[in-house]
Amino acid sequence: MKRHILAATTALALLAAGFGPAAAETVLTVGMAAADVGQLDPHRATTTQDKPVVSWMFNGLVRFKPGSASLEELEPDLAESWDKSADGLTWTFHLRKGVKFHGDWGEMTSEDVVYSLKRAADSKTSSFASDYAPVASIDAVDPYTVKIVLKQPIPALLGIVANYHGGNIVSKKAAEALGADFKIKPVGTGPFAIADYKSNESLTLVANKAYFRGAPKIDKILYRFIPADAARDLAFTSGELDVVYGRQDQRWVERFQKEKGIAVEVVQPSELALLFVNQSKKPFDDIRVRKAIAMAIDSKQIVGFKGAATAIPPVSVVPVGYLGTYNAKLYPHDVAKAKALLAEAGYPNGLELKVIQTSLPTMLNSMQIVQAQLKQAGIDMKMEVVDHQSWHAQIRKDLSEANYYSAARFPVADVYLKQFFHSRAIVGTPTAVTNFSHCSVADKEIDDAAISTDAAKQKELWATAQQKIVDDVCAVPLFEQLQVWARHDNVDYGYTFKAAIHLGPVITEATTKK
Amino acid sequence: MLRFVLKRLLLAIPTLWAVLTTVFVLVRVVPGDPTIAILGDQASEAARAELREKLGLGKPILMQYVDFMGQILHGDLGRSLSTNRPITTDVLAVLPYTIELTLAALVVGTVLGVPLGVLAAMNRNGFADWFARIFSLAGVSFPAFVSGILLLIAFAVELRWFPVISIAKEGDFWGRLNALVLPSLNLGLLMVAYVTRVTRSGMLKALGEDYIRTARAKGLPYRTVVWRHAFRNVLVPIVTVVGLYLGVLIGNAVLTEIVFNRPGIGKLIVTALNQRDYSLLQGLMVVSAFAIVLANILTDLTYGLVDPRVKTS
Repeated sequence: MKRHILAATTALALLAAGFGPAAAETVLTVGMAAADVGQLDPHRATTTQDKPVVSWMFNGLVRFKPGSASLEELEPDLAESWDKSADGLTWTFHLRKGVKFHGDWGEMTSEDVVYSLKRAADSKTSSFASDYAPVASIDAVDPYTVKIVLKQPIPALLGIVANYHGGNIVSKKAAEALGADFKIKPVGTGPFAIADYKSNESLTLVANKAYFRGAPKIDKILYRFIPADAARDLAFTSGELDVVYGRQDQRWVERFQKEKGIAVEVVQPSELALLFVNQSKKPFDDIRVRKAIAMAIDSKQIVGFKGAATAIPPVSVVPVGYLGTYNAKLYPHDVAKAKALLAEAGYPNGLELKVIQTSLPTMLNSMQIVQAQLKQAGIDMKMEVVDHQSWHAQIRKDLSEANYYSAARFPVADVYLKQFFHSRAIVGTPTAVTNFSHCSVADKEIDDAAISTDAAKQKELWATAQQKIVDDVCAVPLFEQLQVWARHDNVDYGYTFKAAIHLGPVITEATTKK
Repeated sequence: MLRFVLKRLLLAIPTLWAVLTTVFVLVRVVPGDPTIAILGDQASEAARAELREKLGLGKPILMQYVDFMGQILHGDLGRSLSTNRPITTDVLAVLPYTIELTLAALVVGTVLGVPLGVLAAMNRNGFADWFARIFSLAGVSFPAFVSGILLLIAFAVELRWFPVISIAKEGDFWGRLNALVLPSLNLGLLMVAYVTRVTRSGMLKALGEDYIRTARAKGLPYRTVVWRHAFRNVLVPIVTVVGLYLGVLIGNAVLTEIVFNRPGIGKLIVTALNQRDYSLLQGLMVVSAFAIVLANILTDLTYGLVDPRVKTS
């Protein structure tokens, strides 16, 4: 009898092993706060919902270590090694051999690398072309060697060939063959490949079994678009989602931290919120008025409101942790002094400040605190609240006297300084980016730092630039907002998730789900 | 009857033209710039200007109007500004979800609303009446996103009977039906309220008429009088409210689709609006307008069925 039972149990166990768990595939479900995907072409993808997906599908010559957003921790990716000439102008990258693109698009060679980087440098095909302006030439020396020659040194050259934005390597054949379709059928070399896209619903990615670091342990990723916060939270609570984009909200973090079996991760990079004061409008061309605004604002109080779990105090007009961020001497909070400055400038009874503001709740409530703080110094901030897209369009027409803007950028001081504070970026001009304050006080330092070969000198120039911008009140730093993600603890990313240059967890070949 | 149908269809043409023109104007009045959604916020003004040109946003408004009308006449909704895919493909992909949801809600609304209204009228000031009144008041006052979340918390998160994300795998019929229950209930509840009210008041009015008294005097059972005599007279207002409601349902589907995370026309409209994808928005509004006009025609035709007098007049 015992033998029969043993035989039966063994048979059952074998059956279970054969048809049970082994047959089921591991699907990781990720819930994103978006209605749809925008652009999966890595050279175009800039939004919070697109960037994580790009990081699962593509590689660069070097890569940000998973879980890190630091340029100082870059590691080899498609390039095994690289050499730099003594003057820092010629870089030679030696590629890994035998790396296959997804599907039948063949082996990745120097031809693809040259094509990809040239594509990234062209404003017709890329949103990051300006990052590559100092590049003189990109050539294939042989199928596994690529040479990049620069017109002038670039701060952190490895940054622009990393697996981020323009540095992602695409398949030349696929990009040429697919044309406009490439943005929803992108072809890379990463651990996951796109399998299906359902408009307004989800993206399905499948494991790239031929991935050069080894076959991923997750078989499939289902990336769902769930714009409604409540629905996303409920789907996460009910277990329909393994990983979820969290709300940048203290109460949300606290609530999910208390739940059993859930891990909440609050990660860098932060988005720095700044109040840009438009110097081209009267009376904000008067430094005394701008100083009064800076002194009327209390960033500690804003951080307190946002909550210490997801917000940190600002240190400069560039976010913390970027290469070149300087702990600037910010104006102290002093309402009496602010009032005195206003009186000195000819406004003893205060003045009015008219701003255009987005209706996006998290941005609006920050601005409401600023409004209350300014009021105490006699500055009456009138807000014209419009929807987010209209706001984006209107502030670029230079319509607002001050502007609240919150952003994360490539983690080098250079990018933030150029986009927000260089005179070339002033809104309303053809080369405009996001210089809402018409700031031009640090142009020379920003330009000099960009071509400096001496790292110490470069940092010094960036520091001077930041202090000048703070002193001139081009912008008032308000607070820094960290990214929030949560997962059920059966999901193991395979690394410690402390930072996410791609604004979301990098799902790698080592990521597992129990 | 044929003349009636033809007349109705011909009348729809100016209506549609007016709707299309309004859509065209409205979409262009919406402020915002689609290049921000497409290029992100780091692109330079020069790149944006180039893209605007490429998207044809710089064309004179009259030319855009002629292009738009021409396209519609050819049954072509154009291409999406943000994805560059044919809009017809995107719309056809989500349309079945919205149709399925709207029809299911219509069933929920009628199947629950009509008997509730009749019962309420039959037991005026009784328990059923009291219940129906409270229920319809609650039904009209609850915004769809609040009732949706309540339904989700109770039946999806706590009881786990239905999924939170109302999308089933392809080809999974029961899964799809299961996923449809909560959203259609949510969307239908609003309609239950209206149908109940209309049925109740219509029935009360009918029950007070002379012919009912006559029927009762003849000794017919109350139930027969109610259903055979009185109820037939309430059918026209019920059909009216149901028909009108089809339009409201299409509108309300937006909220339900978002809360239950179902693909559909409503959800797509919100995406298009957020991305300032004018061409997609326009296409979606055209489709919705056609749907509502069609619903109205069907309602009119149904009048003919429930009340023969309509056909002849």
